[in-house]
Amino acid sequence: MSEVPKIVYDRLRAARPERALPEGTGPERAHPDADLLTAFAEQALSVTERDGVLKHLALCGDCREVVALAIPAADIVATKIATETEAVRATPTPVKAQRNWLTASKLAWPSLRWAALAAGVAVVASVLLVHPGKLNRAMPPSANRQVATIAPPASGPQIASSPIESSPIASSSTDQSAASTKIGEARPKSELRLPKKLKAGQVMTPPHQADLGRLIADNKKDSSQADKLSAAPSAGASAFDAQTDRGATETVEVSAAAVAVEVAPSGERSLTARNETPAIEKAKPALQGIEANEQQKTETAVISGSARLQARNVMSAAKLALPASQTSARNVTWTITAGVLQRSLDSGQSWQNALRADHPLLCYASHDEDVWTGGQAGTLFHSANSGITWAQVRPSIKAQQLISDVTHIDITRIDARSDVPGPAEIVVSTSNNEIWSSADGGKTWEKK
Amino acid sequence: MQISAQSGHGADIATALYIRSGAAAYDVSAEQFAAILDEILRKYFDSAHNSAHASAEQKADFCAGLRLEELALARACAGGNERAWQDFISRYRHKLHGMALHITRDGAHAAELADSLFADLYGVNARDGVRRSKLVFYIGRGSLEGWLRTVMAQEFINRYRKQKRMVSLEEQTEEGMQFAAAVAEPACASDRTSDQRLEAATDEALAELSPEDRFTLASYYLDGRTLAEIARTLGLHESSVSRRLDRLAAGLRKRILAGLRMQGMSHAQAAEALETDVRDLRLNLRSRLMQDSGAKTFHEGKVPAQDAGKGSN
Repeated sequence: MSEVPKIVYDRLRAARPERALPEGTGPERAHPDADLLTAFAEQALSVTERDGVLKHLALCGDCREVVALAIPAADIVATKIATETEAVRATPTPVKAQRNWLTASKLAWPSLRWAALAAGVAVVASVLLVHPGKLNRAMPPSANRQVATIAPPASGPQIASSPIESSPIASSSTDQSAASTKIGEARPKSELRLPKKLKAGQVMTPPHQADLGRLIADNKKDSSQADKLSAAPSAGASAFDAQTDRGATETVEVSAAAVAVEVAPSGERSLTARNETPAIEKAKPALQGIEANEQQKTETAVISGSARLQARNVMSAAKLALPASQTSARNVTWTITAGVLQRSLDSGQSWQNALRADHPLLCYASHDEDVWTGGQAGTLFHSANSGITWAQVRPSIKAQQLISDVTHIDITRIDARSDVPGPAEIVVSTSNNEIWSSADGGKTWEKK
Repeated sequence: MQISAQSGHGADIATALYIRSGAAAYDVSAEQFAAILDEILRKYFDSAHNSAHASAEQKADFCAGLRLEELALARACAGGNERAWQDFISRYRHKLHGMALHITRDGAHAAELADSLFADLYGVNARDGVRRSKLVFYIGRGSLEGWLRTVMAQEFINRYRKQKRMVSLEEQTEEGMQFAAAVAEPACASDRTSDQRLEAATDEALAELSPEDRFTLASYYLDGRTLAEIARTLGLHESSVSRRLDRLAAGLRKRILAGLRMQGMSHAQAAEALETDVRDLRLNLRSRLMQDSGAKTFHEGKVPAQDAGKGSN
């Protein structure tokens, strides 16, 4: 770094607001209050106000020190993190080490460690997304997991109206699990590809963490039928399973699936099938079917994130995939620390990172399991399951996008008095005083 | 504009703000919340720089941009609402201790600082028999957590100043304070003139900088902040700060030189004046004076010999 003449040090040190700014020149002479300094540190001031505060700070060493102390260190996010397996845990970094990050002319170990971790997660996520079938094969078959069973083509009934005459349909399994319920009605391929064309009267179950487990679980089936069935997810072919006693490996799988279906409407289910005959067992990724289905969706305003975001969400989801009883919205407390959304399941005793976006997050709003959070540069995320999975939302109207900082989010249940939970009205306020609202859970937006 | 005295559209805004804040959960009525907003508006818009041309719409927008939920929580805590305090403690208790540790870097001092702030927030010190919580000063322009951190930093600096003022004479002696040399005055008129011209040129060059540039300079060179810290404060990337500092250092030198030349110095003189540190100059003067006195003594010693020679001749 270039050095300045020593006289500059002296003159900078000698400067005082009361000397440099004559009386009556403006509010810069007086020390800004804590509120103003906080808003300055959080980049929440208007340009005029920011200039005023900067003018004072340039001359006042005490206020500069307050601001410097008040801005948290980048890595100090939480003092206590409960989950030991949390992949992206915020650990306090000694300030000394931070200071030497650049001056030591070598990369510090924590940076390398996080970089290595991020690279590893990106690789795992990409492998998971590209070749999920291989991972599924490695999973031990569960005897008591109830899924739709594919009958051999010769013995299975045919659907007369199906354009694919040889298409088999899933028939009920004779699995002994009493807790399992199954709906083994398959749809013709063309119909199954469009979840919007679900038949009237079909029961649509809202997405649930336990349900997500079925996206991957035991989707083994006859190799000759695998492609057709796995690519045709349908609500009618959903398997309902009360089994949740899975190991850690499955938890990761569930999370990955959750990322993959982050924009799926609640009615979507992947077809999960298992052939009882081991000789013809062959796993087929359900994820591919889901992703293929997702590509056809153009109506939703929700867009899927980048691979990096997905990788990050895989980690978030993996660490946040907790038993349903623990994720009860009633017990979840949210907060934002240093631009990271955190949640607590024990009334603030311990906190865990729920979402870290590319830009710092500034605000959040939650209602039951619905959580919205927004931040700088139009960052907006939504979770419908208390932060287990997140979807990035980009509100736009007529090619005009939300790009300014999101400063406040409000959720209002439109039919608060109704027993059936309906869509929530989301109102997003921005730093340039725009107000964006959506009455359909973020699919379409209005700007006020 | 008075939120509480609004009717029609304004009243709708006030109601919407009240609903958004969730103040009802802490037993804060719509009227009370409107009064809080009025007080904040008065404080903000009645100040000299904001009073002009502040329309009702601007004020409504200002209110909409506040952290209403946290404002409601803070004011409910200040009002002594038990549920609000439970929420506040569950959200911020651990964080406050973490903040204190970050600021003080010492466990004992951190606990002391956090406890002291908690007492202030609760309002242990009653004024005129009324408990006054520090949370009434939060107006919601930034996050409540950030405000707590700022208040804690201010408290820490005030406390540090107090302790510094109360340093005992023994401690001063240990630190060698009694041996501190008086600031030497420039030895001669030419040095003083040169200093004044240099100071004037430097002040002029610094005054031409934008507030952000000057803040960057002071933070880096004077306060010893790292590029990362400055970048975080200004919302920039570290490399931007680094480039800016390089540009500022080079620009300042040029401007000071130009200023000195404007005051009648040649280029060489200006460059020499700029390179010479005032403090170094003073040290050189002192050493030169010491050498002079030695030479004088030696000279005095030689005089009698010369005189003796003359006398012998």
